[in-house]
Amino acid sequence: MTSKDAPRADTGGNGGTRDVGGESGAGDDQNREQSMEGFSRRIGRIGRRRLALYVTLVLLLALYLSPLWSGFTTSLKTAVTFATTSPLTPPPPDGFTVEPWYEAWGRMRFAMINSVFFVIPATVLSAFLGSLAAYGLTKIDWRGQIGILLLFLAGVFIPYQSVLVPLRQFWSAVDLASLLAFAPALAARADLLELAITHTAYGIPICTILFRGYYLTIDDEIIEAAKIDGASTIRIYRRIVLPLSKPMFAVTLIYQFTNIWNDLLFALVLVTTSRNFVATQALNELQGAMVGQYNLQMAGAFIVAMPTLIIYVVFGRQFARGLGGESG
Amino acid sequence: MATLELQNLTKRFADGSDEIVAVDDVSLEVGDGEFLVLVGPSGCGKSTTLRMIAGLESVTSGTILLDEEPIGDRPPQRRDIAMVFQNYALYPHMTVRGNMRFGLEESTNVADDEIEQTVTETARMLEIDALLDRHPRDLSGGQQQRVALGRAIVRDPQAFLMDEPLSNLDARLRAEMRTELKRLQGDLDVTTIYVTHDQTEAMTMGDRIAILNDGRLQQVATPLECYHRPANLFVAGFIGEPSMNFFDVTRTDGQLVATGFEYPLSPSTLEAVGDRTDLVLGIRPEDIEVVEPSRAANYDGESHAFDANVDVVEPMGDENNVYFTLEDGSFTATVHGFHSVDAGTRVTVRFPESAIHLFDAETGEAVHNRSLEDVADETRTQPLD
Repeated sequence: MTSKDAPRADTGGNGGTRDVGGESGAGDDQNREQSMEGFSRRIGRIGRRRLALYVTLVLLLALYLSPLWSGFTTSLKTAVTFATTSPLTPPPPDGFTVEPWYEAWGRMRFAMINSVFFVIPATVLSAFLGSLAAYGLTKIDWRGQIGILLLFLAGVFIPYQSVLVPLRQFWSAVDLASLLAFAPALAARADLLELAITHTAYGIPICTILFRGYYLTIDDEIIEAAKIDGASTIRIYRRIVLPLSKPMFAVTLIYQFTNIWNDLLFALVLVTTSRNFVATQALNELQGAMVGQYNLQMAGAFIVAMPTLIIYVVFGRQFARGLGGESG
Repeated sequence: MATLELQNLTKRFADGSDEIVAVDDVSLEVGDGEFLVLVGPSGCGKSTTLRMIAGLESVTSGTILLDEEPIGDRPPQRRDIAMVFQNYALYPHMTVRGNMRFGLEESTNVADDEIEQTVTETARMLEIDALLDRHPRDLSGGQQQRVALGRAIVRDPQAFLMDEPLSNLDARLRAEMRTELKRLQGDLDVTTIYVTHDQTEAMTMGDRIAILNDGRLQQVATPLECYHRPANLFVAGFIGEPSMNFFDVTRTDGQLVATGFEYPLSPSTLEAVGDRTDLVLGIRPEDIEVVEPSRAANYDGESHAFDANVDVVEPMGDENNVYFTLEDGSFTATVHGFHSVDAGTRVTVRFPESAIHLFDAETGEAVHNRSLEDVADETRTQPLD
């Protein structure tokens, strides 16, 4: 609240300053003296307002960052130091260590790689299929569209928890490992394949709805012009619709990547062998059975969060454009 | 290049339980290389007709023949027709070059360097060769319009369809493009159907114009024929600015009786009228003679002259629009710019019998059109396939 009100007060102050400038420009010495006095008085008032604003902002910043900060300091402390210091204090020189980061990385590296291998295909596939479905639902005319659209819409609102049992039953009935028996290397990774397929299917509805909203803003005449120019339905998608979808792809890719990367529930239900553990599961494993190694867990949490951060930085600009609804 | 023929073309839309007939049994033929303007008020079905020809709208019944081959069942991709849209519909993510190449890349197997050559030549012809590497968003409306034209021209199609292509331009640019488009079409000699609601565009651009109202074809003729020999009341009122004056009249014996004046008819006109009694008398504003007060006495005995009150005078420079009030109606006359008439005065006007049109009040059909002795030569020079 405070942070919203403050800039407005500040603008008012600036307006006042400009007025003073106008007066002094009139020339008269006495006038100028008076206005200079008024000027410094106003500056003083602005100064106090600014100060209040900055103090509030810094306090809010500290509040928001404190969990991250304490996690970060904890990850750099030895177990003994962690027990004897407040989580907010930085690690003292004798209690500083990067060992938890090494250990967490060492214990989670394989799971991070597993995650990358199923998250990227699932993210790209769900976004791509969502975009294709949305194209079919907006720019192509056929009977029964509304019914299909409603099914997609319903799909968005199905909670993960409600499908866990049927999902497990489904993948027990469809035994991917034995279906892939001809390729043992793949069969061993069947859990991850199941996860990728599940997340793709689960992500399609929301991606479709997001792309649909975007495609409705694309002028139908552009599609018609392409038809008359001789392009087939698929060519129109590839050469017109797909290139125009870049901003929305940024949105769906970031959204899906974050969702799928951070998911633990499906992984717990579908991944049965420990060599196929994904990052969130490996992080869960760091908890330890007897003693809570908080520095290790915190370092692990930062490592797991890193890829989503990188994705935001890489696609952030496009993401903002996609949300803003700007095309091209 | 080819002829384009519509046979009994009909389009019905379902609107809930109702059915709307957007295009009603339209038959017309466009000659090879002809520029046909399809004109009518908004909602008359002209755009629907065009979209059916393009294949963007399904045909309820009827046949479309391009170069004597039926194309009604083909998808738009296989009709060899190019279309220019009202909002240009340029591909926003492609450069001007990309936009112009697209059609050739998608619809032909022409080699890359040949496409490039065609695009460059067309761009030069349209004076947009300097813009080839720009994106549509960096172009002005007029430039986008040229690119849209270029995109249609490079494909060298059998026919052009244009859907109000000039309506988004400002008045000056529109007048310029009107001339240029007409010249371009003449040079390329491609069969063209041009849709507009603007009767000025129709009159100035079309070899022939087809006037549609309420989904029905009213008349297909040269612009001057439509102007001087309108087939019915609608055409008479639609073509011409300011529009034709109409008076409801009844025929009693040898003359027409309107509220405010009586109008005797010559035997030959009476013959055309036959035994109809309820008629509409039409006369174009420029055909009304407004008599200078000094000469009014000469018209005293004149049977086709009467007095009317001048309501408003609009000076246009080259001419004046004079609005008259009659007992329970009004009409408009245009007089020469130097012919001064004062508002509020009562003056003598004359409707020459050679200039009047008569329409059946019930059906709206023309029963008598103005004499064409003075304009006949002009109309005959228009190409009629």
